[in-house]
Amino acid sequence: PRSPLLAAMEDAAVEEAEVSGAGEFAPALVAAHPLGNSVAVAVGPELRVFDLKGGCAVSLSDDSGGCSHSDAIRAISFSADGALFASAGDDKLVKIWKTDSWRCIQTITSEKRVSAVAISKDGLYVTFADKFGVIWLVTVGEHGGGQVSSDNKPVSLYGHYCSIITSMKFSPDGRFIATADRDFKIRVTSFPKNPIKGAPEIQSFCLGHTEFVSSIAFTSHSGGSSFLLSGGGDSSVRLWDYITGCLLDTYEVKDKGGRTAK
Amino acid sequence: MTRTSGANGGGQQGSGKLPRKRFYRARAHSNPLSDSHFPIPIAPDDVDLSQHYPRYFPADKGEHGDGDGDAEAPRIRFADVGCGFGGLLVGLSPLFPDKLMIGMELRDKVTEYVKERVLALRASNPGQYDNISVVRTNSMKYIPNYFGKAQLSKMFFLFPDPHFKEKNHRRRVISMHLLDEYAYVMEVGGIIYTITDVEELGIWMRTCLEKHPLFQAVPEEEIKVDPVVKLLSSATEEGQKVARNGGQTFQAIFRRISLQEE
Repeated sequence: PRSPLLAAMEDAAVEEAEVSGAGEFAPALVAAHPLGNSVAVAVGPELRVFDLKGGCAVSLSDDSGGCSHSDAIRAISFSADGALFASAGDDKLVKIWKTDSWRCIQTITSEKRVSAVAISKDGLYVTFADKFGVIWLVTVGEHGGGQVSSDNKPVSLYGHYCSIITSMKFSPDGRFIATADRDFKIRVTSFPKNPIKGAPEIQSFCLGHTEFVSSIAFTSHSGGSSFLLSGGGDSSVRLWDYITGCLLDTYEVKDKGGRTAK
Repeated sequence: MTRTSGANGGGQQGSGKLPRKRFYRARAHSNPLSDSHFPIPIAPDDVDLSQHYPRYFPADKGEHGDGDGDAEAPRIRFADVGCGFGGLLVGLSPLFPDKLMIGMELRDKVTEYVKERVLALRASNPGQYDNISVVRTNSMKYIPNYFGKAQLSKMFFLFPDPHFKEKNHRRRVISMHLLDEYAYVMEVGGIIYTITDVEELGIWMRTCLEKHPLFQAVPEEEIKVDPVVKLLSSATEEGQKVARNGGQTFQAIFRRISLQEE
């Protein structure tokens, strides 16, 4: 019998093939629970979760009454401890889910479509980026109920001027937030103790990609060192010292593993 | 005088004849949101200083930026954002003969005019004006491509476009988000100078600077003795026009500070 997860991914591939040429189609997204409890797949507006421990699909409940998302999901992310999950996209909604029950506990309205989402290391805040390149922050509500936060309006943290944010990650120690954009840039910003007031201190820019940056990831923090990895439209994967912005190494993927030592 | 076009101005610069503005007519407004096609350095190390300041970087010195013996190489220290026809740079050049300064201008024809003006001034005043240059760029998007962390000691924003309509306020060159980037490229203690003849814009710029945690107002007694301040209203065409019409100007002069502990 086909596993539901495989079914989900095959469906996604079929949908992409069917609408290719019909304009921009949201790519299917996959995210894995950090402890391996589950896998989440976003296909268009649908969010599908597979419980790896229980070996079965999960049905999501959304207390705000509506179905999950009403338009393509563009970004998903688990929190570092796996307790929370965030989804956001073209319906201008950011949804925060508790992963034990897979209930949506909070829905935030963005003014513009959302291209990236992340959860702070302490699980207190969710950040999301809109199509103008502005990064917003909301406090994760403790109570369930999934109501749209009105007193907890998003505050603007910072922005990549007139650029689309493609990837957003918090550093393992929670001190920094890194954002990458379509204009080849990666910005590493100090994430303050009290981020409600904004994040004005830029730690570094990691500049070297010659095309859009599509994805960034922090290496894990064991042994005291942590680096930033990035990949982009220039077919390269780059390694950065994100504290200084220094490019440490470049791997040219298109030449079947050509190496540019730095 | 022959009208030059594009980058071909270099050929006839022995003459030292100043360019005539009427051959470089341009609309006052340029759309900073459009992706015009001009080259952008990938990172500050890619800025070719030998092209801008040949006397400081003789071309026979081998590969630019190779590090050997370049520890003392001077860096750009002043940036005039939206330099227009170059009046401020021309006024600043003799006041700080040891400092490299660059103007940033979005309009193609106006940038060409400034290039020609600088070359003509160098030709007719040997040994002078070697420390100023201009680059055609969109400084709202690409400032971090040109300048490294804490590189600049002065930044200038003279008579920026007011962008009166509220929906266009985000196009203003001074904003909370962009001040993050300007603070990043400025050294602690560096000074940002802004001036406008539009009162509402003057209030806007002052308010942004007051609210931004990385800037602090320069005290009046310091402003009085700063030789640069006079140039803000007298050195440029806009400033001279305002003076001719007896208009009022609104200055906001702030110092880049380090983040104060709460």
